[in-house]
Amino acid sequence: MVERRIAPMDEIKSLQGKKSKESMEIDKHMIRLLCDCIEDRNPKWKDTVPPSMITTAMISGGALALGIPLPFKRSVAAGADWDFFKPIKAGDTINTTHEFFELQDKSSDKGPRALMVYKSTHTNQKGEVVAVSTNTIMSY
Amino acid sequence: MAQLYFDDVQEGMSLPVMEKTPTTQTLVRWAGASGDYFELHYDKDFAQSLGFPGPIVHGRLEAAFLSQLLTDWIGDKGELRKLSVQYRGNALPGQALKLSGKVTKKYSEGGENLVECQIWVENPEGKQITPGTAVVALPSKK
Repeated sequence: MVERRIAPMDEIKSLQGKKSKESMEIDKHMIRLLCDCIEDRNPKWKDTVPPSMITTAMISGGALALGIPLPFKRSVAAGADWDFFKPIKAGDTINTTHEFFELQDKSSDKGPRALMVYKSTHTNQKGEVVAVSTNTIMSY
Repeated sequence: MAQLYFDDVQEGMSLPVMEKTPTTQTLVRWAGASGDYFELHYDKDFAQSLGFPGPIVHGRLEAAFLSQLLTDWIGDKGELRKLSVQYRGNALPGQALKLSGKVTKKYSEGGENLVECQIWVENPEGKQITPGTAVVALPSKK
């Protein structure tokens, strides 16, 4: 089991604005693995990247990329948004900038709770923004 | 795959229902295909240490299912513009999940024909565990 570091709220808040960059070429094999897994047989996805590829952690998982510690022991995904601006083709390279955008303290008399918001911008090899995404993790 | 046109969409209409039953094998395959190796989705002891009965289905896998619901519905000339989900409950591997949607608004903006939808994943108990919204762009017959 991988131990995740727990850190005080103030330390985590000081990490707001931290960014990291990743780059990934989307090849046909990756598309096929994804489509086979979800049983998406649409022939369009032979050469075009399905939007579901952008929902994956390896593309829009800022929490994984940035390694921000958690305020509390438990964490689960709370929600996510994706905006898709341009089609992505097999062979395109997706350059992603992840940002730890915000820590929101939601603790109450019911117990400790915090939301960690991550934002990611995805561009292609031409520098065009193809998608943006926001992911929220709840730690409790 | 049938093509959906903006002209054929009415507010209030339902999307064709899709059913998915992700198994433990699906979760392993999703982990490999998506790069999400969080132990909550395959390690029973870890999942139980967090208070879950066992490994749970990845929320992003449910989002991918909803994405497929939409792209199957809109056809090749349609485009998914926006997808938003909230994870309000958990699905367990082996559970049959029902994916549904309903058109809430249609309008033209910036030269595009846009349709807004409510979408959701329902567990076998009928609870909407992953509700959300989406916007798609559709071609017109004219």
